[in-house]
Amino acid sequence: MRRRPGIAGLQTAATNRNQFRTLGEDVAKARTESMKEQLSVFRTQLEDFARKHKNDIKKSPAFRAQFHAMCQKIGVDPLASNKGFWAELLGIGDFYYELGVQIVDICLATRSHNGGLIDLEELRALLTKRRRASRERITEDDCSRAISKLKALGGGFEVFTVGNRRLVRSVPTELNRDHNQIIEAAQIQGYVTAEDLVSRFSWQMGRVIDALETLMKEGLVMVDDGHADGKRRYWFPCVSTVDVDLDDSAGNTT
Amino acid sequence: MDQFKMPYFYNYPPYFTLQPVKDTRDKQVQLWKELILKYCKNYKIFIINLDEEFPLFVNSSIERKLSHEARELFLGALVTEGKAEWLDKGHRKCLILWRTITDWANLILHFVKENGFEDGVMTLDEIRTGDETRGTDIAGIDRTVLIKALRVLEQRGKAAMFKGTSADDEGVKFSA
Repeated sequence: MRRRPGIAGLQTAATNRNQFRTLGEDVAKARTESMKEQLSVFRTQLEDFARKHKNDIKKSPAFRAQFHAMCQKIGVDPLASNKGFWAELLGIGDFYYELGVQIVDICLATRSHNGGLIDLEELRALLTKRRRASRERITEDDCSRAISKLKALGGGFEVFTVGNRRLVRSVPTELNRDHNQIIEAAQIQGYVTAEDLVSRFSWQMGRVIDALETLMKEGLVMVDDGHADGKRRYWFPCVSTVDVDLDDSAGNTT
Repeated sequence: MDQFKMPYFYNYPPYFTLQPVKDTRDKQVQLWKELILKYCKNYKIFIINLDEEFPLFVNSSIERKLSHEARELFLGALVTEGKAEWLDKGHRKCLILWRTITDWANLILHFVKENGFEDGVMTLDEIRTGDETRGTDIAGIDRTVLIKALRVLEQRGKAAMFKGTSADDEGVKFSA
């Protein structure tokens, strides 16, 4: 016979619900606490790790890159703030801020030559030259990391890839796809001719000239009418390595 | 003489073509102006003659040379700055003042005082190629520059130029 609902039944159900709720709360509480504990253990260990390998992180570029990769995986950004324990612990923030300042310096010093575009590898070489006093080796990874921090300042600092090279832009010039393709084509010899571009991309001459004129106005291209074949060559200082004498053009900004 | 080290841009072909974009051209002119002065100073060159080939304006290793227009423009920019003077109306010959006339005058005055010529007499040729000035910065000074510098000293009352019977006899009496 089916039991009909009665007072006692309702009361039992209410008690059960209460017991379940208490149990649930207890479990949640325990879980939070264990999470907290794990987090603090993790943090201590990360700190220990960083402290233990402080010198490696500072000295070895490969180790530094791995350390960054690890931090990124677990969602920690050692560069996010200069105030956090990372800065105090490692001075690693300072390292990149210093790098950033030097990068800005070099970009400004070479801007009149290259129009504000510089090959990342060349930038690194110039940086190394400038920093010869300090022994730490600088990698392209360090450069792009420092540059990504400069983004916060505005001013259009950015690393972008053209062909197989990475270029650093220090002017807020917007380059469209045509421009990028032309710069890529120029990487082969350091220059292009309009005829080259027409046959390479099957563009109309007008389109080629238009893009080249824009690049010229931005100071990214220099014309050269001096070749024996009489064809105008368009040179891209940003893809040709030249030994710019920094001491001459940069002033005393060490 | 010291081997002269060419700057980076000297081996970059487009710097031998006048750039159409103003900012780029300004930069180009600036670099060439500096180079011309440094080069002339290093080799003690005083006059650039645009009717003759000038080694600086030709870079055979990259097969480029400056056009006539470019040469005249760069020298003209130096003239505007007071670092050079056209010697003729047609702008063919240019006097390069890698040291200003005033500086030359001071240099001569210094030399005179250092060597006890305060009341002495020297011919212009003696100053330019004589034993007394050998090894000093004055040795080999261009005749035109020398005369201009001595005129400055004349105005200050430190020297008096006189003419002899021929150009060889031209001289100066110092009263420093």
